[in-house]
Amino acid sequence: MNTELLNEISEKLQRGKAKDVSALVNQALEEGIAPDVILNDALVVGMNIVGEKFRSNEVFVPEVLVAARAMNAGLKILNPVLADAGVEPIGTAVICTVKGDMHDIGKNLVRMMIEGQGIKCVDLGVDAAPEAVVAAVKENNAQLVCLSALLTTTMGGQRDVIEALCEAGIRDTVRVMVGGAPVTKEWADDIGADCYTLDAASAAKEAKRLILEMKKG
Amino acid sequence: MSGVSIIWQGCKLNGSHDKPSPWGLRGESFRFYSNQTNHNNPPKTIHHKKGAPPAHSVPGANITMTNRERALNILHYKPYDRMPAVHFGYWPELLYEWAEQGKIPLALAQSWGDGNAADEELDRLIGWDFNWYRTAGAHTGLLPGFEHKVLEVLPDGTRRVQNGDGLIEKIRPGVTSIPSEDDYLLKDRAAFEELYKPKMQFSPARINYEYFKNFNETRRYDVPVGLHLGSVLGSIRSMVSVVGMSYLIYDEDEELFADIVDTFAEMQYQCAEEILATGAKFDFAHYWEDICYNSGPLLSPEIFNELCAKHYKKRNDLCHKYGIDIISLDCDGVTEKLLPTWYENGINTMFPIEIGTWGDQFEAARNKFGTGMRGVGGMDKTVLRRDKAAVDRELVRLRRLSALGGFIPCPDHRLMPGTKFELVQYYAEEIKKIK
Repeated sequence: MNTELLNEISEKLQRGKAKDVSALVNQALEEGIAPDVILNDALVVGMNIVGEKFRSNEVFVPEVLVAARAMNAGLKILNPVLADAGVEPIGTAVICTVKGDMHDIGKNLVRMMIEGQGIKCVDLGVDAAPEAVVAAVKENNAQLVCLSALLTTTMGGQRDVIEALCEAGIRDTVRVMVGGAPVTKEWADDIGADCYTLDAASAAKEAKRLILEMKKG
Repeated sequence: MSGVSIIWQGCKLNGSHDKPSPWGLRGESFRFYSNQTNHNNPPKTIHHKKGAPPAHSVPGANITMTNRERALNILHYKPYDRMPAVHFGYWPELLYEWAEQGKIPLALAQSWGDGNAADEELDRLIGWDFNWYRTAGAHTGLLPGFEHKVLEVLPDGTRRVQNGDGLIEKIRPGVTSIPSEDDYLLKDRAAFEELYKPKMQFSPARINYEYFKNFNETRRYDVPVGLHLGSVLGSIRSMVSVVGMSYLIYDEDEELFADIVDTFAEMQYQCAEEILATGAKFDFAHYWEDICYNSGPLLSPEIFNELCAKHYKKRNDLCHKYGIDIISLDCDGVTEKLLPTWYENGINTMFPIEIGTWGDQFEAARNKFGTGMRGVGGMDKTVLRRDKAAVDRELVRLRRLSALGGFIPCPDHRLMPGTKFELVQYYAEEIKKIK
């Protein structure tokens, strides 16, 4: 296997070079490298490095966004090939910004990072009603729900979603992760969420852990 | 999970804080001045012996100072009679809430703006001394702005709207949160050269010369009044969104983003230069940036420094030349990593020093930069939604910070819905007891 090529994809991804990543992913496929290997040993590795650097303040939001853009460029080529090969994502997450809140940058960062872990994300966008989250969880057999809120006045929407999941009888089938500027660990505990993280990179790491735990049963 | 914070919280709701309105007047208005002739007399100055120790108060002294003197003396480590009760305005929803509760007349909620007559009436009802956001300046945005237009109405009623900055936002009916950023026009060199650069040029139309020529006669002297210097990066971020800014920084045309910043900054410098040349006198100068969030800056401090430091220095050197030595900058979120660029280039007053979930930032900044770094803000506004005991605990903390000198407590952002009217009154009363 051409590890040099995989490393190059990872490196270009980290530098946000979307066009280069596209070209190199195509080259890797042409060379016969399996699509899941390209995904896991190049794209995911690259995003993980970006995530770690983001967490340790070595890189900032712009670097994450351009890396995610490069990752998406690679995935655009890879996804149909992965589907043809029967490669499944490691799990599914439903993500949104809660009802009444239109902020989406933090949520989008988390989504990009989570996708970078090989997890399928169903993004409900902003101002998502609790019933929409419940429906999306059922429809996609999601293992994880990620709820973002940016305002102290809207963070109550996270509690509303958890209550809706309970009322729908599916609370035990998912893990719920919350985040956003006003959100704290205490708030997460108070509303019965399973996980709170301070930043997008930590969220992605926890997302993978939670999904793998769920799958283990 | 990360949330890009407060960057927008409260600000865009009424559009009065994040960007200069036409003529860039914040708080101060022509009508306001012309109706307030009783404020025209310059204040009596309190003289202190040269070489006196930098006391923080005038214990036992029977002196009444104006709020302007109080604020400026505190920021210059000079004696003051008491702490002024300073605020930073309200979310409009809060004022409507208070009106519904019968605490304030509805008309005040409907007409409130920073420093206007309704703001002053609220000051009187609550017990505030003044709103810090009282500045005047040029029109430092795009001129002319883009046409506001609805591009599309989606099936759920959401409107895709192009705003005056060329940013395309989604506005959902019934949602009071700020709109979400959907797209933007400034994507490449061609868009910059053709659409934006002409709108970023200096023009005399950006300045109301008549107003500034009469400024010293018509301005208030009982409260501090600042020159608004605009924004080096914040306004550009508003034009292209955080995502767009990120992509532009890493555009294949590596000079593009720097060209945008330089063009925009040069125009703002010329605006400040023109205003100061009229002879208008200001107590402080002020920037709006909002370029940080709850995890730190929205871009690398190194890139920020490379792009922006020279522009801060140039503008601040100009202010120093005109005797303005207090230069504040409004940035929410965790500002720590950008403070060196600001401080080393002449900005010496943090505002509003948001507490958020991360805690106080002023003391750390003071420890790092010394008494050269001042602050206005740093009061955890969320205690005003709780109870008296929570306010008392916050007051203990603020008394300690005030004792450091060069610090004026002020709620760390607009007061939000759920804030209790009586607790605000209580806080305003108690903060004045700091001497």
